[in-house]
Amino acid sequence: MDFFKSGLKTVLGTSSDEGQDTPTGAETVEKLVDRVTSSTLLDDRRDACRALKALSRKYRIEVGAQGMQALVQVLQSDRADCEIVSYALDTLCNIVTQEQFEEESDNPTVSMNVGEQFTEMFIKQTENVSLVLDYLEEYDFKVRWAAVKLLTTLLTNRTKDIQEIILVSPMAVSKLMDLLIDSREVIRNDALLLLIQLTKINSNIQKIVAFENAFDRVFDIVRDEGFSDGGIVVEDCFILLINLLKHNTSNQQFFKEGSYIQKISPMFKFGSSENEEQVWTPQKVSNVHCMLQIVRSLVSPSNQQQVILSCQKTMKSCGLLEALCNILMGSGVPADILTETINTVGEVVRGETENQLVFSNVMAPSNPPKSALVVLLMSMINEKQPLILRISVLYSFQCFLYKNETGQNSLIQTLLPSSNAEATITTGQLLCGGLFSMDPLANWFSSVALMHGLISNREKKEQLLRVLLATTPGSPPVSLLQQCCSILQQNSCKLQTKVGILMLLSVWLNDCPVAVNYFLSSPSNGVSYLIAEISSNEQDENEYLIQGLCAFLLGLCIQGNDNTVMGSGKEDLCQLVVKRIGLEIYTRKLGEVSRHESYSRAGKNPQIRVDSGSDLLLDYEFCKVFKALEHTISALVNGYSNNNTNMTELTLSSEASDLVGQYKGIIRDLDKEIKSLKVQVNDANSSNSDLRQRIVELEGTNSQLADQNILLKAQLTASSISNGSPNDSSVLNLEIGRLQQENHLLQSKLAEEKDKTSLEMDKLRKDQEDLLELLSDQENKITKLKNQLKASGLTVEDDDELDEESDGISIL
Amino acid sequence: MSYAYLFKYIIIGDTGVGKSCLLLQFTDKRFQPVHDLTIGVEFGARMITIDGKQIKLQIWDTAGQEAFRSITRSYYRGAAGALLVYDITRRETFNHLTTWLEDARQHSNSNMVIMLIGNKSDLDSRREVKKEEGEAFAREHGLVFMETSARTAANVEEAFINTAKEIYEKIQEGVFDINNEANGIKIGQQLPPTNSSISGSGNQGGQTNGGCC
Repeated sequence: MDFFKSGLKTVLGTSSDEGQDTPTGAETVEKLVDRVTSSTLLDDRRDACRALKALSRKYRIEVGAQGMQALVQVLQSDRADCEIVSYALDTLCNIVTQEQFEEESDNPTVSMNVGEQFTEMFIKQTENVSLVLDYLEEYDFKVRWAAVKLLTTLLTNRTKDIQEIILVSPMAVSKLMDLLIDSREVIRNDALLLLIQLTKINSNIQKIVAFENAFDRVFDIVRDEGFSDGGIVVEDCFILLINLLKHNTSNQQFFKEGSYIQKISPMFKFGSSENEEQVWTPQKVSNVHCMLQIVRSLVSPSNQQQVILSCQKTMKSCGLLEALCNILMGSGVPADILTETINTVGEVVRGETENQLVFSNVMAPSNPPKSALVVLLMSMINEKQPLILRISVLYSFQCFLYKNETGQNSLIQTLLPSSNAEATITTGQLLCGGLFSMDPLANWFSSVALMHGLISNREKKEQLLRVLLATTPGSPPVSLLQQCCSILQQNSCKLQTKVGILMLLSVWLNDCPVAVNYFLSSPSNGVSYLIAEISSNEQDENEYLIQGLCAFLLGLCIQGNDNTVMGSGKEDLCQLVVKRIGLEIYTRKLGEVSRHESYSRAGKNPQIRVDSGSDLLLDYEFCKVFKALEHTISALVNGYSNNNTNMTELTLSSEASDLVGQYKGIIRDLDKEIKSLKVQVNDANSSNSDLRQRIVELEGTNSQLADQNILLKAQLTASSISNGSPNDSSVLNLEIGRLQQENHLLQSKLAEEKDKTSLEMDKLRKDQEDLLELLSDQENKITKLKNQLKASGLTVEDDDELDEESDGISIL
Repeated sequence: MSYAYLFKYIIIGDTGVGKSCLLLQFTDKRFQPVHDLTIGVEFGARMITIDGKQIKLQIWDTAGQEAFRSITRSYYRGAAGALLVYDITRRETFNHLTTWLEDARQHSNSNMVIMLIGNKSDLDSRREVKKEEGEAFAREHGLVFMETSARTAANVEEAFINTAKEIYEKIQEGVFDINNEANGIKIGQQLPPTNSSISGSGNQGGQTNGGCC
């Protein structure tokens, strides 16, 4: 500093050290600025610039306020002289930085945001930024380095504005990327920091940076720096990668397609070849932590489904999943790396059947060998394990069960009575153990884990009802569901235990009428407990949550109710709600769940994020279930009291009610049809019976008639017989005598006539014979005459022929 | 996975001419009839074979809207090939070709292969730009020309593969400096062997691995 002070004296031409004559900082700065702008000699300008740079640390406001334009002018016009340019850039950097210098610590006028204000002033002219960008191309070390630092500072202060400026200046990103291959490490390393700032949030810049071969550049640097054993530069590289990949689908695809997953995979295989123990330096821990973040950025549940799946497949096929599982089961791994690895493995397997299978088959190197899942769950229910580790185990277990029916089945299977009693510990046993342990957190973890084994799996919900527990020796076994209910009712039951069990029961009873019936009819008296909780008047946020959950569970009991349990049908329960709680209160209490702060926190992301163990209350999947059903349930209960009908309708989701609507239409149509058919059938029946009756009548008359007929016939015969009665016979005999006389008379007459005619007949016969004789005589005469005529030469036609001719004529 | 060369492509042209559909048809072999505006730039990739060599194409599909022009310009320099697309049913998209071409020539490396593509050839009844006009424009500016249909997939493969062939030939001629990655070309991790018999086996390996890319 002495050097500078003496330098200043000579420059400013002051010789006095006296307080009064000493120029103030502002005056000095003013003179220097004046010299920078007006001096014609480059050397003068350069000296003044150097002095300004020195003063800028102590008199930042003065230099910034008066000198900024002058400095920009230097950048514009003194390009040829690297030294003056580097002074100008450095001075600007000092002015705009947010960092507070030692020299100005006693200056009260320098407030915290003075750097930001100067940044705003500087970038108001966007050309100024372009000017700085141009100097990135200057090879001179001091200039390039100063430009990088200034740009980084500007970016830090005004990230969004600078990003926009860089986006529209052509080749700007290319220039920045070229810095990564600068052989001077200082520049390369600072360029990394610059790029980290640049790639924050803005996805367009992230894509361009990736397009400009950022992945290759970064992996080259990581390799040169010794991979995960490298220093902070490696960490910077990884942070840049995380920036490029997080929430950027295009870059994630590019990363996957460019086979960079295969490049990062071997970095996770440490210590496998050599036997010596890994040395986990703090830097290595940071590096590996970042590597895990990179993997997670590719398979985070918030990514595009397609990208997640393709990345998960690649991660399995290139051995990354296996390497991660090895870290999981390795020894000497620091706790936070282990935790993050568990989370990572979870996300790598989440929803991908094959990867989930791989995970479930990982064995821990213990004796006897246990599955990794068992070992992990043991830590989860172990009070002594760090909270973040236990949370990560739950998360990975949830990921393992997500869309994994096989996994759910094998978990519930281990609990069923049929499974033979093995010496080895199973996942199901561990969860049961956790459920009934004295540690409320273990209760919560276990019930949530078990709940995930039941999500969308009705079959398992029904099977789990069969699970019996031997609580105390000697007493009869109780079912798991019953045991859950009795735990709830214990006075010592803690908040988290209650929340966990209520969530488990809710998912268990949802969409499973068998479980609802079981719950309603179980001797543990679940319903009255729920009613008591809901109507209690505790004034505490967490108590509200419990009441809300109880209201939800009660609602599920109404919704899934098939009215088979006597006294606990839909209507009975609704009546209970109305009478014991009151509708308005019930609805308000139901709403308490979504009003609780943990609802919005848990519902955001499948991963569990809490600051302390006591914050663990609601679960992501449970929130999804609740969200889907809350409205339905409140509408159901309210609808009951309002009009008592349409109950079943309200228990359904909108899709289902649409479907129901359709079916209703169909049923209505069918109903109509049935009605009309019934009418027709009635008509037919009545006409049928009419006809029958008529037949009967007719048959009756028929037989009557037949009888009459017979009677008449009999009468007839009787009457015909009675005709020859002695009264009439004398008359008849007289008549007969008279008729016989008449007959005789007629016969004699007839004989007379006969004689007469036979006489006549004889006479006629005689005549005929005479005539016949005469005729033959005549014929003979004719033939004689004919022959005579023929002999005399005359043709004589036959009589026959003549006859024929005359016949023919007559015909004509 | 292993490839002899990697080429970077960009697809440019007015909005709505079917750039994203061409890419989707090429990478996924499907057609999306609904126009979904591209924001900034989207990425796609596929492996092809030319001259018995596995070549990986990395394709950046850019937004056609004017608002994104400054962003898409950043992609010109690092690309080895560009598909410049217009819509044969909309004359204005053809009229804008000169602007696009100037922009591309100004910001890209001089060796970038540009393929002119008249898309939507399936909509012949609504055609506003004759095929001959496209051919003439291409001839005049030294471009390769082709009419395609992203809907029917006609000529889509050919468009991408012919561009790759052109680049490949330029490499063989030594026009491209393949060691400068700024040209949009990368040599695969396995250098293409000089011995032809080894080359055969190497490519087989490449093909089998290619599936998982």
